[in-house]
Amino acid sequence: MSSQSYPGGVVIANPYPVDQVKIIQSPLPDKVVLPLQQRIGEEALPCVEVGDRVLTGQVIAQTEDHFCVPIHASISGIVTAIDKQAIPHKSGLKATCISIESDGQDEWIKSQGCGSDFLHCDKQTIIDYIQHSGIVGLGGAGFPSHAKLNKAIDCHTLIINGTECEPGMMCDEALMQHHPREVIRGVEILLHITGAQQAIIAIENDKQEAYQSLLMFNHNDKISFAQLPTKYTSGAEKLLIKALLDVEIPSGGFAADKGILCQNVSSVKAIFDAVIDKRPLVSRIVTITGDALTPTNVEVRLGTSFEQVISLTDVNNQAHDYRMGGMMMGVDIETTQMPICKITNCIFVNNKTLKQPAKECIRCNTCNTVCPIGLLPQQLYWHAKSENIEKCTDYHLSDCIECACCSYVCPSNIDLVSYFSFAKALDKKQTADQERIDIARDRFEFREYRLDRNKEERSQMMAEKKQALKEKMAKDKEQGLEQTDKIAQAMARVKKTKEDNV
Amino acid sequence: MIESVVIFSGLTLVLGLILGYAAIRFKVKGNPLVDQIDSILPQTQCGQCDFAGCRPYAEALAKGEAQINQCPPGGQEGADALAELLNIETLALNEEHGESNARHVVYVDEKLCIGCTLCIQACPVDAFVGASKVMTTVIEEECTGCDLCIPVCPVDCIYVREINPTLLTFVPTIPGEAHV
Repeated sequence: MSSQSYPGGVVIANPYPVDQVKIIQSPLPDKVVLPLQQRIGEEALPCVEVGDRVLTGQVIAQTEDHFCVPIHASISGIVTAIDKQAIPHKSGLKATCISIESDGQDEWIKSQGCGSDFLHCDKQTIIDYIQHSGIVGLGGAGFPSHAKLNKAIDCHTLIINGTECEPGMMCDEALMQHHPREVIRGVEILLHITGAQQAIIAIENDKQEAYQSLLMFNHNDKISFAQLPTKYTSGAEKLLIKALLDVEIPSGGFAADKGILCQNVSSVKAIFDAVIDKRPLVSRIVTITGDALTPTNVEVRLGTSFEQVISLTDVNNQAHDYRMGGMMMGVDIETTQMPICKITNCIFVNNKTLKQPAKECIRCNTCNTVCPIGLLPQQLYWHAKSENIEKCTDYHLSDCIECACCSYVCPSNIDLVSYFSFAKALDKKQTADQERIDIARDRFEFREYRLDRNKEERSQMMAEKKQALKEKMAKDKEQGLEQTDKIAQAMARVKKTKEDNV
Repeated sequence: MIESVVIFSGLTLVLGLILGYAAIRFKVKGNPLVDQIDSILPQTQCGQCDFAGCRPYAEALAKGEAQINQCPPGGQEGADALAELLNIETLALNEEHGESNARHVVYVDEKLCIGCTLCIQACPVDAFVGASKVMTTVIEEECTGCDLCIPVCPVDCIYVREINPTLLTFVPTIPGEAHV
């Protein structure tokens, strides 16, 4: 049935392999910085003030958008600032953040959940708990889990994504190895919510230990495992579905349309924590890797600075290049004074090297063969470079998942994928601008029409009044009443009233 | 001989009727060139071109009564696009019509507003909400940044607000390529 694969993609061995996948528990940070901007939607509105004491897990910012999740304090302590700070984003722009100074107590707030008796909880109630616990896709995309679940009620197949997003990353592997019980129970919660007949946990075939430990804890015959060949971009939702079930999700479509729900293992563990342990999402596992240190995983509170997390490892004293979010899709960053967010899955710390300059495209066609979506990166490159968005759309730019396979194989070192993200952002901007221009044009034209109409209505009203007056005068004349008589009559009336009043 | 004359006369008549009907039925209303020009103009409706709005300027351009370099909000790019459409030499932006500023909107300091409604009358896109002797405010999404309301305000309570890129509207730069 399933081919277990898809065309394209690249096989990349883990550049920084380790003997044993460990998780280091990070000590409580002294200070956390929590950005209010989430992956989608508007900025959340803070519901605490500077100087307030907050508890771990307390909601500190809310959104009205049902699509978004609230933001929780990840430590207990005092809110010291609500201001603009650097956040891990490719733009390098600052965004509003809430800073909390720890009091060292780590006092938790009492929050709601189902406990281990989740089978007696209503589906919608559990989804609401998941939303209120702030759970988003922890694989890297940050798509809110409750939004996915709301769409996927009555789906038939659940896919649990245990394939590592990128080479070098091992946070999901560590999680499966060290928390198999939570993962399996989490899958059972999802099975209960969605009513799916089967759940498939997808693991790459180089992660035998994770596979074995999950296998030991699995006593549910609805849950099965699939081992996939280790190939990059297997972690992408649509490609994973194609590899496992041989079902293709059309462009612009959702997995839920085909009755499939895909969730990352880390999100599944977070769902377990929220529903059974009644703990909102306040920490995550981050892989720290690169040639400047021994790669490891750190479980860390959200909002801890990169610097502090890196200092937990045996990092050397040389100058470093930092990159967050994986070697393929990640973003190079200048400073480590940034907070860990829900989607920060990996930090690369490499000894400083000079970047290879890009050369001219030699039209070797290699990028076209590795694109897992089947796009033509070479064509897209020319059109993106000349800012021809219309042509880019013809070549299905919007389907690009920015996996950077094309940039990886390019013999000329062209950073193809940054051209595509540029073209996508430009397209979005141009569409928004065009919409604004159209509104302005419509409103200007309507105003012109309105002014004309008012003028016309006014002149018509005046004409009607004149006509009515004329008719009345003509009528009065007919009855023999002259205008002067009427005036005399009115004067007499006034005189009479005056006399009466005296 | 006669037959062919009859056949071709008949054919001419029938085709002529069809063409005549089509000319009436599918007549293009208005001037399509004006629409094309109008779609290039930025629709700020600021009147800096000395016309009452973008559409009147487009009409004047189509008649050849205006220059293509009279629109500061459109910038040099706009002038170039007009030159390409009209198939003429492009001109440098005429500075007499004002400078080309970054996109912005205006906002009302609501504490100072006296409710004179002058801004409401000045706004070319009806982006103001208010009435006589009550506080007035701007619908930011509909403001084109034409600045026509600023000089008419008797208490100077209308200010310009720059639009900075946010995380959601940010456009990355293309990496520079070193050609070897």
